[in-house]
Amino acid sequence: MSSCVLSDSEPFNGNDFDGTAYRPIYATADELTKVSVTAPVSLTDPGKIYVSDNYLFINDRGRGVHIIDNKDPKKPVNLSFISILSNYDIAAKGNWLYADNATDLLVFDISDPRVPKLIKRITNAIPVSYFPPYQNIFFECADEKKGVVIKWEKVTLDKQPNCFR
Amino acid sequence: MKKLAPVFFICLALAGVVILLFGCDMKSSDSAISPQSGQGGSMARFAITGNTLYIVSKKSLEVYNISDGASPVKTESKNMEIGIETIFPYQNHLFIGANDGMYIYNNSKPENPVLLTKYSHVQSCDPVVVQGNYAYVTLRASSLCRPGATPSSLDVIDISKPSEPVLVNSQVMDSPYGLGVSNNMLFVCEGEKGFRIMDITNPKLPFGKQYFKDLPSYDVIVRNNQLIITGAKGLFQYQFDDQNNMELLSKIPVL
Repeated sequence: MSSCVLSDSEPFNGNDFDGTAYRPIYATADELTKVSVTAPVSLTDPGKIYVSDNYLFINDRGRGVHIIDNKDPKKPVNLSFISILSNYDIAAKGNWLYADNATDLLVFDISDPRVPKLIKRITNAIPVSYFPPYQNIFFECADEKKGVVIKWEKVTLDKQPNCFR
Repeated sequence: MKKLAPVFFICLALAGVVILLFGCDMKSSDSAISPQSGQGGSMARFAITGNTLYIVSKKSLEVYNISDGASPVKTESKNMEIGIETIFPYQNHLFIGANDGMYIYNNSKPENPVLLTKYSHVQSCDPVVVQGNYAYVTLRASSLCRPGATPSSLDVIDISKPSEPVLVNSQVMDSPYGLGVSNNMLFVCEGEKGFRIMDITNPKLPFGKQYFKDLPSYDVIVRNNQLIITGAKGLFQYQFDDQNNMELLSKIPVL
């Protein structure tokens, strides 16, 4: 399978380096695991959605979860926001909301959806791979010593980076 | 082709079940399609069926027992090849989308899914939905997803002859993401390009009924004749009927 490979000559694997590549953005463990509940906020970058009972959960990509009372789809009511860095996925059942926080799985008690409570964190529940979620691209190899990779930014580079997939 | 045979037998069996369900009560068909108590979109990496939470990472299937919802207990972790993207529970099976194909697990024993097969397709970035004898596959041709200059497409694959899958239709799409299917309607999120409604009264020949180009869309949930759509402009909810009438119920805008 593809992985971090050293490439010392061009073209590599049939792909020429065109000057663009991906660079990891890191967060410290403290930054990453900070979770907070706030009053409702506006959507900024809505991603995946999940419905359970009368509630609608909207992921704001990389930022957290909006909880919406959707009993009347004509008048959805925004109830609260859970700020979770590196959160992209959600699922809910009854009083429980499950959400990813980078490699961790979080469990929230949403019996009062206006005040969701973080009640459990399962660390390293979701294995990560240290490369961008794209194919046929060059990227700067991730360095675990620098922290946890929370996302990848597209950058222009003069020199071809050492990793490709 | 021989090794693909089991997949198509399963698909055929599922198709039969779906047809039975649809034949009984059109209104309840949406909830009957998915065994999930709640419901996610086709882009999801998390899924819940009964007391089991499934999570696909980029390279594995993680299984948790959530009988005690507050305290998930891991029951299984299956290593997979890198490139896993989506999970879609369907009856007693899990359809797991990867960027080079689709895995099918039997989850009759929910805590210990068994890999039945991997159906390989061209490298792409998108999910699959199945209804009746047909699988609908969107292939997004972003340069980051699919090498070369092939266009994005919606492919229809006839799976009624299990040993001989036949591509029966392929049409160009703009930039497809999430998919939803309900009876004679197929919904395709076209990213920044909009939201497409296709008629699949003839299931092997989807044709475009409406294309909302001012409705950028990423993921969709179809439920009880209602659509919940997210995209760059926010969250939109619509009611639809069999005549393709669409009524906007509400929106939560991006601000």
